[in-house]
Amino acid sequence: MPKLALPRLTFWRGVLLAILAAGTYATFLRVFKGLAGSTNLTDAFPWGIWIGFDILCGVALAAGGFTISATVYIFNLEKFRPIVRPAILTAFLGYVLVVVALLFDLGRPWNVWHPLVMWNPHSVMFEVGWCVTLYTTVLALEFSPVVFERFKMTKTLHVLHVIMPILVVLGVLLSTLHQSSLGSFYLIVPTKLHALWYSPLLPVYFFLTALTLGCAMTIVESFLSHRAFGKELEMELLVPLGRVALLILGVTAVIRFADFRHRGILGLPFAPTYESRLFLAEMIIGVLAPALMLALPKVRQHRTGLFLSALLIVMGVVMNRLNVSITGMERSSGEIYVPAFTEIAITLSVVGVGFLVFALAVKYLPVFPEHEMKDARPPVAPDALHVAAQPIRSLPMPAIAVVALAFVAAGALGADGVRRREVVPGPPAPAGTPALAAALASFEAPAEMTFPQAPDSPGPVSFRHASHVDASAPDCLSCHGNSYSFLGRTQAPPAGLMHDTKHCGGCHDGTSAFSVEDDCTACHKSE
Amino acid sequence: MLNTQAKGLLLDTTRCIGCGACALACKERNGLPKTADVVLEDKLSDKTFSTVNQVGNRYVRRMCMHCATPSCASACPVAALEKTAAGPVVYHESKCMGCRYCMIACPFGIPKYEWEKKAPLVRKCDLCADRLAKGLKTACATACPTGATTFGDREALVAEARARFAANPGRYREHIYGFEEVGGTSVLLISDAKPEELGYPAGLDGTPPPHLTWRVLNIIPDIVMTGAVLLGGIYWIRNRRDEVEAAEGHHDASTKGH
Repeated sequence: MPKLALPRLTFWRGVLLAILAAGTYATFLRVFKGLAGSTNLTDAFPWGIWIGFDILCGVALAAGGFTISATVYIFNLEKFRPIVRPAILTAFLGYVLVVVALLFDLGRPWNVWHPLVMWNPHSVMFEVGWCVTLYTTVLALEFSPVVFERFKMTKTLHVLHVIMPILVVLGVLLSTLHQSSLGSFYLIVPTKLHALWYSPLLPVYFFLTALTLGCAMTIVESFLSHRAFGKELEMELLVPLGRVALLILGVTAVIRFADFRHRGILGLPFAPTYESRLFLAEMIIGVLAPALMLALPKVRQHRTGLFLSALLIVMGVVMNRLNVSITGMERSSGEIYVPAFTEIAITLSVVGVGFLVFALAVKYLPVFPEHEMKDARPPVAPDALHVAAQPIRSLPMPAIAVVALAFVAAGALGADGVRRREVVPGPPAPAGTPALAAALASFEAPAEMTFPQAPDSPGPVSFRHASHVDASAPDCLSCHGNSYSFLGRTQAPPAGLMHDTKHCGGCHDGTSAFSVEDDCTACHKSE
Repeated sequence: MLNTQAKGLLLDTTRCIGCGACALACKERNGLPKTADVVLEDKLSDKTFSTVNQVGNRYVRRMCMHCATPSCASACPVAALEKTAAGPVVYHESKCMGCRYCMIACPFGIPKYEWEKKAPLVRKCDLCADRLAKGLKTACATACPTGATTFGDREALVAEARARFAANPGRYREHIYGFEEVGGTSVLLISDAKPEELGYPAGLDGTPPPHLTWRVLNIIPDIVMTGAVLLGGIYWIRNRRDEVEAAEGHHDASTKGH
């Protein structure tokens, strides 16, 4: 009998297990305690990290899929073919996990299919819902040859090979739309999102940063695959990706500068506020530091240098999405949001499951096809191998200095920012008693009403607000707050019961007011 | 623009005596439980759709403004929120999937959520849509004893506000909040104070926020068509070159990919 071997418990597997255990408990809380019992979300702050990280970052981090597939299939840069499959797999897993995370966030997740049937073309989220659904299908088809190869289904493979260019074009278009539209989510809140992040160009920023991130994530993933699965590092592919990332970083920075100049807020990033400090931290980590590193050929061609630059870009985009969705929305909300343990546990679990499924796929499916790698690889430049073998200590000093400085500066700015975190003061507190003379002049007691008459009643009774209400200080709620409807819904008391303590007799008892038993004609008018 | 026959409310802080009748009538009409011991200290929530609070030294109402071009209805991916011709912005709860984008989008922070429930819904004032359909006033306007909340056709309410400005020189800061803000609202507010002194958001211009989104969504078909032709063209050119090279017998792989 073959013995089932348990995987060895390494450090990272242990971490993953702990995260998944916390995630399972958090899922339990989410299902049985609702959003109130599992999140720190409130009416003032209805979107937390499940939207800010899981959705906004999740979709952006999966941008490698369309960036690389466009490079290979549309721009016909065949040398990138070996990294197409891992990029598409990552994207596909990313999107599936984004949908899973969305199910946690939705109040009524069983209605998640509604946008496909109940249309509102004016809604950005409607558009994103459709794009993500279609694109996840396209990604599944783009990745499906890997599965069909495994089971040697040649006919299906041929069909897919023929339609692949169409799928890729479709995938690029859908990605362009929804990557930018995640930024368009916030176009509708010009008075709520802080001016450092609110811009008519939000969709442009989101698209460009997704492109940069597509390159950076491909570099990071290649390095992680290299470490985890011993795949050879394709430095001759990754270095050009770094150059492209640098180019888009530069373009985005110029657009942002022009945007800030036109909106007259060039000085705003340097104001001593929570938002400005976190904006500067985002710029240093995500733009300045990686751009400096990638601009130096020695750093760019150094495996650790390239990896660190890409990692900085990834961190910068994550900071950007969190700044837009959380930092920038806090002041106008009047509240400070800190994610609950449950929110963090679910988010980490989603990431953890992503790593786990990727590892399993690599193990059982031809994600890194050996023949393609050999065929596609151009002749290796003599010094490329040498470059790839450089250890970290050979990283040029300026690069180490840039990374260290960036982290110190961003950390200090972030800490100072959080210290300055404050919310906008609410409406002024009550001050004194309002002067009511003018308002009271408008007071008009409701019309007279006549009650139904009992057979033995000496005459009909009419109720006059005018004689029951002190017009200089009307207290409507003393009667309406308890028994009597404002909307005429109170049933007229059964005739003959008006003397009851629940009705007129309640006050007309001889103490608070004259008694109902005193003088009949005081209320009952004879015809 | 706004349907002139659309119903609305005119809120006048200079006429409010803070009796709380509006807030309580709202609770009665919507069958909502008591949420505060003192009505004037109540806050908007999933169980309170309308409040009257003392802000500074005035009594101020808060409720859904029923925008002419509502951000919430524009944001909702399933069209669960809808601006009706009669004036109210109503909510079709069976459509809602609980994304809460309406809460993010609303410039007045009105929609509230049933966080405690396992099948939560968005809750807010619906301008008593069912009462309006029967030809009745809203519950709050019915209960108000001073005319601080006046019900009517929006056009008539604007005229009424201007008449009050004219009849009482110096009593008002002569600005009708909601006449232009966010493209106009069905609920209008007049006062002697600035909106921000009343706890209302200031700095809203006449552009309906949904237009900011639509400007972008509207060009999507253009992006798709241009993109498809561009990408298809690039694909065609890049791959054609390979075919030609192959046909001419150039097998030098190093020329590929430049």
